[in-house]
Amino acid sequence: MRTVIVGAGQAGRRTAELLRGLDAEREILLIGEEAEPPYDRPPLSKEILLGEKQPPGLMQRAAGAYAEQRIELLLGCRVTGIDLAARRLDADDGERVPFDTLVLATGARARRLRIPGAEDPRVLTLRSMADARALGARLRPGLRLAVAGAGLIGLEVAASATKLGCLVTVLEAADRVMARCVPEATSALLDGWHREAGVALHLSCPLLSITPGEASLRLSTGLGDIEADLLLVAIGAVPNDELARQAGLPVEDGILVDESGRTSHAQVFAAGEVARIWRPALGQHVRYETWQVAQHQPVAVAHALCGAERPYDEIPWHWTNQYGRNIQLLGAHRAGLEWIARAEGDRQTVIGLDGDARVQGAVLIDNGRDATPLRRLIASGKQMERARLRDGSVALRQLC
Amino acid sequence: MPESWHPVAPADSFEDDAAKVVQIGETRIAVFRLENDFFAVSDVCTHEYALLSEGFCENGKIECPLHQACFDIRTGKALDEPAEVDLPTYPTRIENGVVQLQFDAG
Ligand SMILES: Cc1cc2nc3c(=O)[nH]c(=O)nc-3n(C[C@H](O)[C@H](O)[C@H](O)COP(=O)(O)OP(=O)(O)OC[C@H]3O[C@@H](n4cnc5c(N)ncnc54)[C@H](O)[C@@H]3O)c2cc1C
Ligand code: FES
Repeated sequence: MRTVIVGAGQAGRRTAELLRGLDAEREILLIGEEAEPPYDRPPLSKEILLGEKQPPGLMQRAAGAYAEQRIELLLGCRVTGIDLAARRLDADDGERVPFDTLVLATGARARRLRIPGAEDPRVLTLRSMADARALGARLRPGLRLAVAGAGLIGLEVAASATKLGCLVTVLEAADRVMARCVPEATSALLDGWHREAGVALHLSCPLLSITPGEASLRLSTGLGDIEADLLLVAIGAVPNDELARQAGLPVEDGILVDESGRTSHAQVFAAGEVARIWRPALGQHVRYETWQVAQHQPVAVAHALCGAERPYDEIPWHWTNQYGRNIQLLGAHRAGLEWIARAEGDRQTVIGLDGDARVQGAVLIDNGRDATPLRRLIASGKQMERARLRDGSVALRQLC
Repeated sequence: MPESWHPVAPADSFEDDAAKVVQIGETRIAVFRLENDFFAVSDVCTHEYALLSEGFCENGKIECPLHQACFDIRTGKALDEPAEVDLPTYPTRIENGVVQLQFDAG
């Protein structure tokens, strides 16, 4: 039995290792396009930009660990096609790779701006270690850095670059920062941190075009022109689902899979950020762009590869670190929730209730200890008393 | 021979599921009461960097506030990923009603 995993990122590594833990015998081949062995991406916009070479969150394994686990690692190799009938992959080096079962863990790539001037070499994106090194090498005091997009990555880069002495301008088309995943009060808090640090934050300000000059880039925005030495485009991610699409597997902005990570083909699975996962409680498929999904959804995939069902059923969770603060986002952040704040000094938890006073989501600011009780509250669907929720002296666990 | 027992706090001042933290040189140690016994473990998560005393504590387990790895307070054992390395543990005793822990610097 031979399982081939395409994509040697976090989800690829997790799938390979979990599978080895469940099955000592099978052949496991992990193929990745990047030069580096698997690494976790969160430090790329944080510690790596600040010049740390080996932050603890980056490489989860020493290079030798794969051989020790009898996981064959093929790096610098791009898979270009899947022949499902012949159960074979084509790689860019002309190699043909047979498989019995296949896992697509190809992640996502940075979305590109499709406006004039976006091909200039001073326009960068951040997804990989190579990207982070290229960006980090150019950040220096006094550099005028423009960031298009005030999402998680754009804001983290703004915070890191400001710390390095760059003059940072952030351009955001929406009317608040991180509008996709936090309530208004949290946007306002983040907004304040960035402005206080000296970031010029322009909201409702789409970037319209880039005019590359010899000395700098002129950026035309909805609110006038800006000169920058470098532009980082951080406007979201696009799943690498083309291999699946070409093989005829159902794809809708991500590879459609069931709760066990199985595609429509019983021998083919998808793991991590590329997967759009069936969530029965929501009655729809959802794709997550989080460390969490890359870490935990492979548990379902590895079990299914061994014939056991361990459906993926987690409350979504991710975090961002900016200016030494840790923000964790739990559950749903849809419009129409009522947000209730609990504060203990600098620590803050904001809890989102639906119309029936059930907890749907939460934002934790330097307050990770609230995550587990809140997960329980979300899972229980219990109706809450607003006054008790607001009362910081009542421990959340007492409300579970 | 340096004195290796360090005072933590009066035994009756401990609350359930809340650590008392002592810093000895560079080392931060979290001390917990579980029923009538006291346990001392490193306060720093073995995954990345986070203070476990700021995490959620329940049923003899402490959960890291950053990525929610859990550790057994009695043994220091890492119970689930992403942490894989156990926490150092330190002996404790009670002298005149005060909890002490044993730590040898260097
Ligand atoms: C800068 C940055 C910061 C982040 N910070 C956070 C954070 O603070 N908190 C959080 O929760 N999440 C964060 N995330 C999100 C999280 O890192 C991702 O969701 C996670 O990396 C997804 O893992 P994955 O294994 O599914 O995909 P990836 O890590 O993208 O791995 C996929 C791999 O597949 C390879 N590949 C693709 N196509 C092919 C092919 N055809 N052949 C061979 N190989 C291929 C790619 O090169 C890549 O190495 C961050 C992401 C980035 C980019
Ligand atoms: S730092 Fe503790 S689990 Fe990551």
